[in-house]
Amino acid sequence: MSLVEVSGIVTGYTPGRPALSGVTFSLDAGEAVAVLGPNGGGKTTLLRLLLGELPVMAGTCAVEGSPAYVAQAGRARLDFPVSALDVVLMGAYARTPAWRRLGRGERERARAVLDRVGLAPQAGTRFGALSGGQRQRVLIARALLQDAALLLLDEPFTGVDRASEAGLLAILDELRAEGRGLLVSTHDIDHARRWDKVLCLNGAQIAFGAPADALTAQALHATYGEELVTLGEETVAVHSHHDHG
Amino acid sequence: MFVAPVDALVDPFTTPYMQRALLAVVLLSVAGGLFGAWIALRRLAFFTHAVGTATFPGLVVAAPAGIAAPVAAMGAALIYTAGLARLLRDGRLRADAATGLLLVAALAIGSILAGDVFASGAGVDRLLFGTLLGLSDTDLWLAGAVALLALLSTALLGRTWLATGFDPGGAGALGVPSRLGDWLLLGGLALAVVASLPAVGALLVSTLLVVPSATARLLAGSMRGLLLGGVGLALAEGICGLWLADGANLPPGPAIAVLGGVVFAAVALVREAT
Repeated sequence: MSLVEVSGIVTGYTPGRPALSGVTFSLDAGEAVAVLGPNGGGKTTLLRLLLGELPVMAGTCAVEGSPAYVAQAGRARLDFPVSALDVVLMGAYARTPAWRRLGRGERERARAVLDRVGLAPQAGTRFGALSGGQRQRVLIARALLQDAALLLLDEPFTGVDRASEAGLLAILDELRAEGRGLLVSTHDIDHARRWDKVLCLNGAQIAFGAPADALTAQALHATYGEELVTLGEETVAVHSHHDHG
Repeated sequence: MFVAPVDALVDPFTTPYMQRALLAVVLLSVAGGLFGAWIALRRLAFFTHAVGTATFPGLVVAAPAGIAAPVAAMGAALIYTAGLARLLRDGRLRADAATGLLLVAALAIGSILAGDVFASGAGVDRLLFGTLLGLSDTDLWLAGAVALLALLSTALLGRTWLATGFDPGGAGALGVPSRLGDWLLLGGLALAVVASLPAVGALLVSTLLVVPSATARLLAGSMRGLLLGGVGLALAEGICGLWLADGANLPPGPAIAVLGGVVFAAVALVREAT
């Protein structure tokens, strides 16, 4: 089942000034697609489009259901008086009428998804007191409580140490195996290689396909331009800031 | 022998004007503590102070123009907010700089209108610092309405305000009406400011709307703690300030403001030392 069907899409923040154009790709259930590109290349713009927050200026965009969005943990307010459980429970807000309290059932489900990402003991810990990797797992747990078939993950490995990264990757593999679709924006070519498909963006679509087909030297140079450093047979994308594009 | 100290605490509140002041403090503490929690979390303290100050020219114009003071104050607050939005639109000015710039402009315009145009005289003090001891029925009804609004909006919109403030980029995908929630929060704050004006004046709205919740923020580990702590501190500071003002023959608004500042400083110092 196709969760995302995008064809010839043009979108942007200001009328008449596209930030991203010519994007055509699809994402099926149980599939993970990496969105690779430099800062300002259009990765976050694409995620915002799929969330319905940006207009379709041209082309067609079909998204199955309401996707869950996993923001970079570093963009959340660490000084808020909220526990890990409080943050996960935000995933139940949409289905709970404003005049009703979050029920016991939602709390049990929230604890279950926290357990699933390995953070049951930290349920009562203040979000800001968790490590970068733990915060990212809490945000994934929040997306799981939303019970969305499609998860949009914005640079999920930014600010996460190697050990936590391995844990996060294992969780994402599990989600993919149970039939959820994942769209993972990243600036890291090594990460992009491990997903089913890669979409290279730099203001427009550069390439889309299996990693072996899409991550050619030509496509990477078109994606990263001057930021690309080639070391022997390995290619490394150099970036200076987190992505906002 | 135990009756005398109790009498000393209760006696000041036996007169009708002090009872009205006490009722106003209770109602405004509910509004101030609840809205104050969101002000503290959303970093709107300076904006709230500025909106309060911006009502000054509206209040000066109200009586000579035959406009109800709350309406004139609300109008001035809206003009201020629209001006701020315009200044920030092209992104060249930082929000705090623009807020300060317009705050000074509003104060200056108010001063000129009060001094040179309408010759407001001694009434200016009351507009700037309020008077808890001379509140009208309308003032109390307005305070009650805003207290009810604060309770209802926190119950119905609290989750939206929490999710939007915690993670602005991700709140939309959680299905909460972030933009509408933000507008309603700013509207509620403006009404709370207007309702506080008769009691504490244009310059001291932070006394009820910012200081208690900023203090509670230093201590609270949960949203519930922040909301209840803000209301509790606003009540305690308001009642103690009123009692002190009566005993020492001080204006109540400034007395509550000073007390709030002292409590904030004490809590901050203790927290830093522990």
